Amino acid sequence: MSGHQTACHECDLLVDVPDITEGQEADCPRCGVQLTSRPRRALQRGLSCALAATIFLAIGISFPFLSFANGGIEAVMTLPDAVITIYHSGDAPLAIILFTTIIGAPAALLASIVALTAPLLMNYPAFWLKGLGRFMFSLADWSMVDVFIIGVIVSLVKIMHMADVTLGLSFWGYIGFAMCLVGALSGLDRYQVWSRIEVLSQ
Amino acid sequence: MRFPAGTAAASGLALCHICHRVSDVVRARCHCCGTHLHLRNAHSLERTIALLITAVMLYIPANTLPIMHTYQFGQPDPATIIGGVLILIDMGSYPIAAVIFIASVMVPIAKMLAIAYLVVSVRRGGKISAQQRTVIYRMTEFVGKWSMVDVFVVAILVSLVRLEGLLTIEPGLAAAAFASVVVVTMLSAHAFDVRLIWDNCEVEEVATP
Repeated sequence: MSGHQTACHECDLLVDVPDITEGQEADCPRCGVQLTSRPRRALQRGLSCALAATIFLAIGISFPFLSFANGGIEAVMTLPDAVITIYHSGDAPLAIILFTTIIGAPAALLASIVALTAPLLMNYPAFWLKGLGRFMFSLADWSMVDVFIIGVIVSLVKIMHMADVTLGLSFWGYIGFAMCLVGALSGLDRYQVWSRIEVLSQ
Repeated sequence: MRFPAGTAAASGLALCHICHRVSDVVRARCHCCGTHLHLRNAHSLERTIALLITAVMLYIPANTLPIMHTYQFGQPDPATIIGGVLILIDMGSYPIAAVIFIASVMVPIAKMLAIAYLVVSVRRGGKISAQQRTVIYRMTEFVGKWSMVDVFVVAILVSLVRLEGLLTIEPGLAAAAFASVVVVTMLSAHAFDVRLIWDNCEVEEVATP
């Protein structure tokens, strides 16, 4: 079989997409949006970046993230501390949004990528592939690790003049985590990933 | 509803938004991954408008109430979003003031106006082409989460600046309101079905890619 018929997800044009090889992509001829792409070694990259990101995330939540000292008094903050402090300050909705967007959703995303790419690479027809695939592709929008990093930089500028601010080990861990998460997601094309799931699930 | 010839909907085919495969719409579920199928998002415009009105209403307390209270030697000092931008300008941090002003003030307003315009253009027809309106939609999708910057700044300051009796920061009501504005406008943009823009356009002959 050469190619497949699909519809553009933005303009609904019915398109016959030819089979593409690694490194190629196919765009909609009417509105120009990317229909599918095959980055090189997408699954290998997804799995390796997700595993690296998991290690970075563990570093990111275990050590001091930032510390703040003024006149001999020091305040140290870790990421879980941040969520707990805000929860205790009486702002539960803010604590929930913060936890979901910077730790919860990205961690669930990482776990899904690992549990999806590992069986696909080993040709193991795991029963969770379809359910988890749906979950993973719905979740990607709600991870805001990149926005959080910009937020950290803005905060640093705001408080630098008040006291001595030190970047902790976790800050660097979180940066590594954000970069690896982007790397893991960049190769995972909906059409191509589901083709592998479909083959394995038969 | 009539769909232009050459679209999937005109052939009774629905695209699955999860796995990007087309199935016959009478199947109701995607043949590949089992996701619910529909030719166009159900009640797309109504849901988009409802969420948009919610966002506009939340936007008022988000800007008028303080986003954080700074307690210096026990003296409370509330600051609104705009107040925070003015403080940054006073400090001379123009790039950061610009980041906060663009992310917290301009982007949410532009996003809400863009969504409103797209909905109206589907009903009344737009002055600009479907292609250009699609670009507007892509931009609203892309910038969606970046308005969260200010909320994260408040969260970091609240949890980091805890020098008891000397200097502490508490979140204000506007922080949760503003975070909700961002989430609700993202949901509103998701509810909007961009294919509706193209349903008023006939398909011209196009070469296969």
